[in-house]
Amino acid sequence: MDIDVIYSVIGIVISVYLLSSILYIIRLVKGPTIPDRILALDALSYDLSVFIALLALFLRRPIVASGLIALTLWIHALDLYVSKYIEAKEMGD
Amino acid sequence: MVVDTVLSIVGLTAIIVGAFFDIVSAIGVLKLPNFFTRIHAVTIGAIGGSVLPLIGVALLSLALEDLGVHRFYLAGTSIAGAVLILILAPTGAHSLAKAAYIMCQAPRKPLLYDALENKVEGGLCQ
Repeated sequence: MDIDVIYSVIGIVISVYLLSSILYIIRLVKGPTIPDRILALDALSYDLSVFIALLALFLRRPIVASGLIALTLWIHALDLYVSKYIEAKEMGD
Repeated sequence: MVVDTVLSIVGLTAIIVGAFFDIVSAIGVLKLPNFFTRIHAVTIGAIGGSVLPLIGVALLSLALEDLGVHRFYLAGTSIAGAVLILILAPTGAHSLAKAAYIMCQAPRKPLLYDALENKVEGGLCQ
C-alpha cells in the first residue's frame, strides 16, 4: 500500500478527532450538572488518548505515545473520586 | 510484502470506523436531553471510538517500516492502552451513573417507566 495515502488518511482522521473534541468541550462548558461535566471530561480524555497515538504515527515519533497509559489511569481515578464525593460528600482517605 | 499490506489495510479500516464512532458519540453527547442518555453515547465513544482505533494504530504501526525499531514500542503502548480503556471505561461510567442516580444529582425528566424507583434506597427523589 502506498505510504503517502496512509499518512494523508491519518491526517484527515486527526482533524475528525479535533472536531469531536471541540463538541465535547462545548458540553463540558455548558453541562447543567456535575455528572454531565465529568462525563464529558471522561469522553474527552479517551478521545485525547487516541489523538496522542495518531499523532505519534503522524509525526513519526513513537516516544510521543508515552503519556497514553497515564492519561487513562488518571481519568479513571477522577471518575472514582467524583462518584465517591457525590455519594458520601467526602473524598475518602 | 503481503503481510504488511494486510496489516495496513486492516489498521486503516479500524481507524476510519473508530473516527466515525467518535464523531457520532460527540454529536450524541451534545444533543441528547438527559444525563442517563448521554452516558449511553459516551460508551459508544469509549469502546467503538477509542479501543478500536488504538488496536488499528497498533496494527498499522507494525506495518510501517520507516518508523524503525521503535514501532514495536508504539504497538505495545497502544495495545496496553486499549486493554486498559476496555476494562476501566465501563466501571467508571457505571460508578458515576450509580452515584448520580442514588443522590438525585441528575434530572430524569424524559422518563416513561422507572423500575428501580421502589427497589433501590434513595431511588425516589423529592
